[in-house]
Amino acid sequence: MLHQFSYAAPRSKSELFSILDDQGANAKVLAGGTDLLVNIRNGVMKPRLVVDIKKVSGYQGISYSPTEGLIFRPTVTINEILRDASVRDHYPLLQECGHDLASYQVRNRATIMGNVVNASPCSDMAPALLCLGARAVIASSKGTREVPFKEFFTGVKKTVLSPTEVLESIVVPASSAGGRGAYRKLKRINGHDLGIVGVAVYIQGDVLRIAASSSAPTPVVTPDLPVDISVEDAVAATRKIISPISDVRCSKEYREFMVEVFVKRLLAEVRK
Amino acid sequence: MKISVKINGELYERDVAENRTLLRFLREDLGFTGTKEGCGAGECGACTVFMNGKTVNSCMVLAVEADGAEIETIEGEAKDGTLSKLQEAFDKNNAVQCGFCTSGMIMSARELIRIHPKPTVEEIKEGLEGNFCRCTGYQQIIEAVLDATGQLEKKEGLKYAGK
Repeated sequence: MLHQFSYAAPRSKSELFSILDDQGANAKVLAGGTDLLVNIRNGVMKPRLVVDIKKVSGYQGISYSPTEGLIFRPTVTINEILRDASVRDHYPLLQECGHDLASYQVRNRATIMGNVVNASPCSDMAPALLCLGARAVIASSKGTREVPFKEFFTGVKKTVLSPTEVLESIVVPASSAGGRGAYRKLKRINGHDLGIVGVAVYIQGDVLRIAASSSAPTPVVTPDLPVDISVEDAVAATRKIISPISDVRCSKEYREFMVEVFVKRLLAEVRK
Repeated sequence: MKISVKINGELYERDVAENRTLLRFLREDLGFTGTKEGCGAGECGACTVFMNGKTVNSCMVLAVEADGAEIETIEGEAKDGTLSKLQEAFDKNNAVQCGFCTSGMIMSARELIRIHPKPTVEEIKEGLEGNFCRCTGYQQIIEAVLDATGQLEKKEGLKYAGK
């Protein structure tokens, strides 16, 4: 039995913002629900109001233009991303990461917005968004502000979002399109599982970026590195951004070791 | 809150609590007990149903979210007392042991076949990755899907094929 709450399904942004202004931290935004409803079930979250944003007009769909880049609206599911032709043609790294997220029926509900707002250190979509230099467009009744994903995560399950704000869109810049990337996630089993460590590498133009998940309190990314960087220096740059812990899944040392293994393998792969 | 939901083609109007999951609504309010609750957290897939043509874990959907939706459950799989091709193949290939995962398995298998009408063993494994069988009858389940899609000959490649 779930903890008791009331439910609202606003149809417009103004209706949504006025509910959030009124309820503040008592309200939780519901998109796919694959994290929120589990958190409520486990008693981790006890919202008085659940605000379903799936019917808010303007919150649906993916758009792409060669000048603006890619825009994900907040109710876009992972399976929508996996089927989208413009994502496939211009930012396939997002599909590679999305493909590793949970199981087919979870991906039918789970949203990219929820994946980053949940701010788990093992987020599957964050490594791709960090490598691609994506931005979060955050909205409230007071207007909108943009935050690069590099600054979006502030701790384990914490982001820069305040309770009255909504992540209204995710923008992947046009300048990041068309590079070569790869993602590797270490799991205990071949099927759906939380990551032990995840690493993404992306080369585009004269910039190389390496992002890692499950290896620091938040998903992390290196500064822009030169594309001809040596393997040793790339490993050293990645070591600098990670700070893994030991937990039920494995030890800190094993995580450090596997991040290094993945950086080496992925570098060789994207440079082929 | 008052909701109206179409389930296996029939319309139901009910008052539900906001915190009721679609799964509990189906099982306890309407008696569609073919759909099972395993983990209740989106890991095991026993509660898989179709919602507006897509498979979902009904333990992670609120009943109020299904207002106006079309739901398909295992109860709608057989038509006029005749088993579907998938059900028949599960029966014939011993893909049902305790039966707890079967309703969810058949929902996911139906979706898998819609996307890949002739799935490879790898595609079957991937399509069913969100459905756990704790009797570990995976080999027979994969064989059943191969059989239902007329490619039982591929099962030779399945032996000891774990990786």
